[in-house]
Amino acid sequence: MNGMNDEGISLCCCEYYDRNNERNHILACCCNCVDVDEAFESLITSRSITQQHKSGIMSTVQDRLRIPWRGGAKQVAFDAALPIFIIPVMLLLASISVWWTIFSFTTVAMFLAFIFNFLIRTIPHTKFFFVWTITSITALYIVFEFIVIPFLEILLEENIALSIFIFGFIMCWYLMKVRTKQLNNCGGDAEFGKIASRIQNCSVCQMRIPDKDHHCVWLDCCVGKHNQCLFILSLFFAEIALLYSSNLTLTSVCHPFILYKTVLLPDDCSDVYQLFELSLSFVSAVYSLFLALAIFILLLHQLLLVSLGMTTKEWSNLPLTSKFCLGLTTKRPQDQGLFKNWSSIICWAKNSRTLLNEA
Amino acid sequence: MFKKYLLIVTTIIFSYFYTYSPNRHARRYTYIAKEDILNHMKFRHPENVSTALKSCTYQDIILENEFIEIVTITQNKSFQKPLSGGEFKPKHCLALIKTALIVPYRNRTSQLAIFINYMHFFLQKQNIHYRIFVANQNDTLPFNRAKMLNYGASLAMKLNYDCLVLHDVDLLPINVGNIYGCAKLPRHMSCNLDTFRYNLPYLSIFGGAISISTKQFKMVNGMSNSFYGWGGEDDDFYRRVNTSGLKPCRFDPEVNRYIMLSHKKQDANKNRFLLMKLAVRESENDGLNSLLHHWSIKLEDLYTYITVS
Repeated sequence: MNGMNDEGISLCCCEYYDRNNERNHILACCCNCVDVDEAFESLITSRSITQQHKSGIMSTVQDRLRIPWRGGAKQVAFDAALPIFIIPVMLLLASISVWWTIFSFTTVAMFLAFIFNFLIRTIPHTKFFFVWTITSITALYIVFEFIVIPFLEILLEENIALSIFIFGFIMCWYLMKVRTKQLNNCGGDAEFGKIASRIQNCSVCQMRIPDKDHHCVWLDCCVGKHNQCLFILSLFFAEIALLYSSNLTLTSVCHPFILYKTVLLPDDCSDVYQLFELSLSFVSAVYSLFLALAIFILLLHQLLLVSLGMTTKEWSNLPLTSKFCLGLTTKRPQDQGLFKNWSSIICWAKNSRTLLNEA
Repeated sequence: MFKKYLLIVTTIIFSYFYTYSPNRHARRYTYIAKEDILNHMKFRHPENVSTALKSCTYQDIILENEFIEIVTITQNKSFQKPLSGGEFKPKHCLALIKTALIVPYRNRTSQLAIFINYMHFFLQKQNIHYRIFVANQNDTLPFNRAKMLNYGASLAMKLNYDCLVLHDVDLLPINVGNIYGCAKLPRHMSCNLDTFRYNLPYLSIFGGAISISTKQFKMVNGMSNSFYGWGGEDDDFYRRVNTSGLKPCRFDPEVNRYIMLSHKKQDANKNRFLLMKLAVRESENDGLNSLLHHWSIKLEDLYTYITVS
């Protein structure tokens, strides 16, 4: 175990201490893997690979999957790294032809539906969904700035407007997180009791959340009464940014027509698969439309729940019949009437200023 | 620590200026307002004043803002039969504009049929004296748009037309107020084009449809004959016109709205980089005066057909 001996020497950005506490280098990731060697050996000699080797390979892969970082390479969780591969590959494959688009989008949708339940059950703290969101935003923004903009068809004002919407979304998201943290730094349960009727400990993020609505895995943040207003605002910004960017992209790569004065809509997208830049822009616009649809449904759901004075958990426990009646027929203990429900969320920060100031 | 912050701040500032630099975007441009167009137009004063006909007026046509329905563009239009060779003169008034519409062409039969049919219908609403010239390149070399335009222009000059409209075959104007005459300066007409999202890709773009008076065209020695294949010739022409002190102008975007028949995307950027690479070509020896007149002229019913071999 020489790892202990040269502990005084600091690591370069590509080095790390592996699970045997030995000093290792990223470039050596394919060397010296005992389990793979043995697995190959048994494969060649046509013996079955033991369970021990399998798990050995898995944990070695987990251990060696690292990114260079200051003060030593950092380990990345396999599940969290997955979206970084999936989303670009999905977009690139989709831009080959119409059938590839349909194939790649449906595959990813089915994969997501499967992995959503799987991950939430097996790894509740997974960053998969959070990384998915970040990767989507980055990929869409890169396609927009470096492929759609160089077509020279979008005005500077339009680009700036889109940036403002994206900035608004990220700002709201950041404030959501900040407010949750702020709340957890301040006082004991007694102070908490003043601002909330129920305090829950979130099992995912290990924080105390007043009047918890749900834990949003995509934003990696708990949503409660304290930040629901910001959550709705961030959904709103995201919705507008996605719709606006897909409109700008589609009117650039397809044939546009004038709907009213400066409002354009696409009407003929038959030529987009002839050029890679066009098809990539087109499929990223289609992807943002799907995201926009999902966010639109979520936004409507949130607006309904706030108006009703219910939480997501209460809603999901409702029988199907009362869901059809939009929950109006059920008993809602937290309901204070439409106006008060909304004002309690919008004015939350104002009402609990004293508490926040103490923190 | 200070170094690190400096690095971050410089990166942010640099990426900010790169992302929002105006030449990565479509451009807003200065234009002549609709009410002002008539003052900037150039009209001829016919020598033969003794005719009983009144002069035609154009102000109402410009201000009326009549748009042709886009869905009807490819349909058969009804128009008065022009003289042989595609020449038309309004009968009820004396036209103050005499325009040669020159179309470079090769192998686009269906587009040409739509174009000719539509343009007669369109131009006859404008009270102008016009004639359509189609310059067809009949060889195996790559298409030379500028050379075809030079041939068309030199024929139009011989026939005493004083305004040239150099026009692509796949562009159709849809505002009747877009008078096909010349302004006092060369004019870029197709600046509000549907395939460009009704925006202008860059300020010096000078292709598609332009109008220039015969005198000015002769002054800059026409276009360059040495651009084979796609792109570059219009930027070179812009340079020629600009260095002669004729700064091209544009009219109100609403007037200049165009539809492109083929929706296929062209990479405007490629064009712009070509411009940068261009050495200043000699405009004295390359242009109208270096044309070899290997051509034949045929008068069709609806247009004059110039075959260049």
